[in-house]
Amino acid sequence: MSYELIPPQVRSRLKDLRLTSRRAVGSHGIGLHHSRSRGAGLEFAQYRAYEPGDELRQVDWKLYARSDRFFVREAERESPLSVWMLIDASASMGQEDATRPGWSRLDAAKALAACLGELALRQGDRFGWVALRDTGLQLAAPATGARQRDRLLLEMHALSAHGVFPAVEQLAPLWDRVGAHDLVIVLGDCFDPACLELMQRLAAARREVLAIQLLTVEERDFPFRGGYRFRDPETGEELLGDGTALRSEFLRRFGEARDLLHARLDASGIRHAGYVLDQELDLPLRRLFGSRDAAEYA
Amino acid sequence: MNAALLLPAALSALAALLLPLLLHLARRSEQRPTPFAALRWLRQKPKPRHRLRFDEWPLLALRVLLLALMALWLAQPVLFGSASDKPWVAVVPGIDAAQVRAAIASEQARAHWLAPGFPDLDQAAPAASAVPFASLLRQLDAELPAAVKLSVVVPEQLQGADAQRPRLSRAVEWKVLPGAMPPPKSVPVPVPALSVRFPENRADQVRYLRAAAIAWQPAANAPAYEAAPGTQALPAGAKNLAWLAPGPLPVAITEWIERGGTALLASDTDYTPSGATLVPWRDEVGAALVEETPLGRGRALRFTRPLTPAEMPELLQADFPRHLRALFAARAPAPSRVEARDYPPTTGGPSHAQAPRDLQPWLALLTGALWLLERLMATRRSRAASP
Repeated sequence: MSYELIPPQVRSRLKDLRLTSRRAVGSHGIGLHHSRSRGAGLEFAQYRAYEPGDELRQVDWKLYARSDRFFVREAERESPLSVWMLIDASASMGQEDATRPGWSRLDAAKALAACLGELALRQGDRFGWVALRDTGLQLAAPATGARQRDRLLLEMHALSAHGVFPAVEQLAPLWDRVGAHDLVIVLGDCFDPACLELMQRLAAARREVLAIQLLTVEERDFPFRGGYRFRDPETGEELLGDGTALRSEFLRRFGEARDLLHARLDASGIRHAGYVLDQELDLPLRRLFGSRDAAEYA
Repeated sequence: MNAALLLPAALSALAALLLPLLLHLARRSEQRPTPFAALRWLRQKPKPRHRLRFDEWPLLALRVLLLALMALWLAQPVLFGSASDKPWVAVVPGIDAAQVRAAIASEQARAHWLAPGFPDLDQAAPAASAVPFASLLRQLDAELPAAVKLSVVVPEQLQGADAQRPRLSRAVEWKVLPGAMPPPKSVPVPVPALSVRFPENRADQVRYLRAAAIAWQPAANAPAYEAAPGTQALPAGAKNLAWLAPGPLPVAITEWIERGGTALLASDTDYTPSGATLVPWRDEVGAALVEETPLGRGRALRFTRPLTPAEMPELLQADFPRHLRALFAARAPAPSRVEARDYPPTTGGPSHAQAPRDLQPWLALLTGALWLLERLMATRRSRAASP
């Protein structure tokens, strides 16, 4: 894996993309999204000494009454939208194609997360991420700024795929952190029923949920010919089969399963896009946040 | 034309063909598990159908072919009867090439000089060689297949001929054209250097020999002559010796003769000739004056009379130096110039089996080319990573 997560040509194509949320009523802050509140952020950050040129209305008069000095009340400028990236880090994400070793599903998820972080940083949104794994969630609270972006890149580099998808009970910390109207983007293979359930529950709880399903070329085309020992990386289950004989049956059943998944996601109001490992990295982002949807923010 | 193998047992190396086939069929993909997360949509089959299946069969076929060629190379293939049957024209150097071409009737004939290596007629005429032309003719006759018609173009005079007409296995068209072979270089016969060993009491006999040795040379030159009394050692490189002492011949002198020297012994030297005796010099009435016997690689000559004018009046005659020189002179070469029309080859000579053409170098070339092709195919960019 190269040090740079986002390929340069993809980075150049990111500039006409906007992260959008249908629920982004943005109760406060200055940002790209519609907001009812005016002025700087309301979250108190610090006091600082008055300097000539500061607006009088920013002076804290109550503190002046107590201390006989002028202090300016500074507030943290708050961004209107929090973006959560839920990254499936179970063992199935480590699957890669024989034709392109070194480019696993997890590598694609990391690169997409880096792209999303870049987009959020550019439009002033806060972004955080959760790596989903049964051995423990790896969670970073949403924040903005270059430091958060660097932290994202650092943690993405260290992330590896093992374990299985967490059960619903293990996801309790998520409910404390993901606020209402937050934008949740799930990056994963979506094979596990728990993943679908998590998305449905988040969507039902008025979170804007987006799903990017990552598939390998082998799952889409099934190019195996001859005997292979297929092994599920999460359960360890093995199946010895002849590729040619299995192909049509697999493609039919896998297609049905994907159609069912899409239908359920649609029913829950979850926007989704697929990404196969041989496609361009910005394709799912363009489907979800393409200029057609972002026109009203231009 | 038929092919044969000189070492058919080497074909057992064909067993190596199993190597790529077995390597190919031992499918690593079945041993190594393939991670596949969507396993739940793969329906369980009772067992994989096990059948022979060849991936990348052009590459496999190339490798098998490569090994087969190597085994064939080991078996030393040869090709019999691959030589051409076109008529051959051998031209003895000494004739103008244009004249020969006009004389050759057939268009297909292969014309070559009769010289070592048989250079083509288009090349310049080769210089006179040390190999006699009859020897070259016999070599050519042995190397050409029996069906090839051979015609030989010779100049009117031939040099270096044997005493006998060459016997060949086939009838040869013997064509005589005007011209002459270059004559062999004439070598002047060197004056023999004479060493004399004499006892004290026979010093007077030495003067006849000395006078003869002086007479061999032109007057201006110093005589190639050396005389010493007793048993003084011979100078290095001495070829001719006159030994005038009576009694037994020393062993050192006998060994010197056997190494190739020529010794003229006195009549009373003890020496038992062995082998046939020649008489190279007789007197006027036919009595032998000198007897010659071979000894080892050299010759032993012996006077039959004492070296006194009373016993041997020839000592005082004017032709004594000439006769003495003839004793030491090497044998004159046999005459070797002959009229070409009298010297056509006879038939009835032994015929020889043709050497088959060795196919190993060509096979090695082919193998090398195939190997390059195999490398090209095996390392091409579009080749799949697995099996």
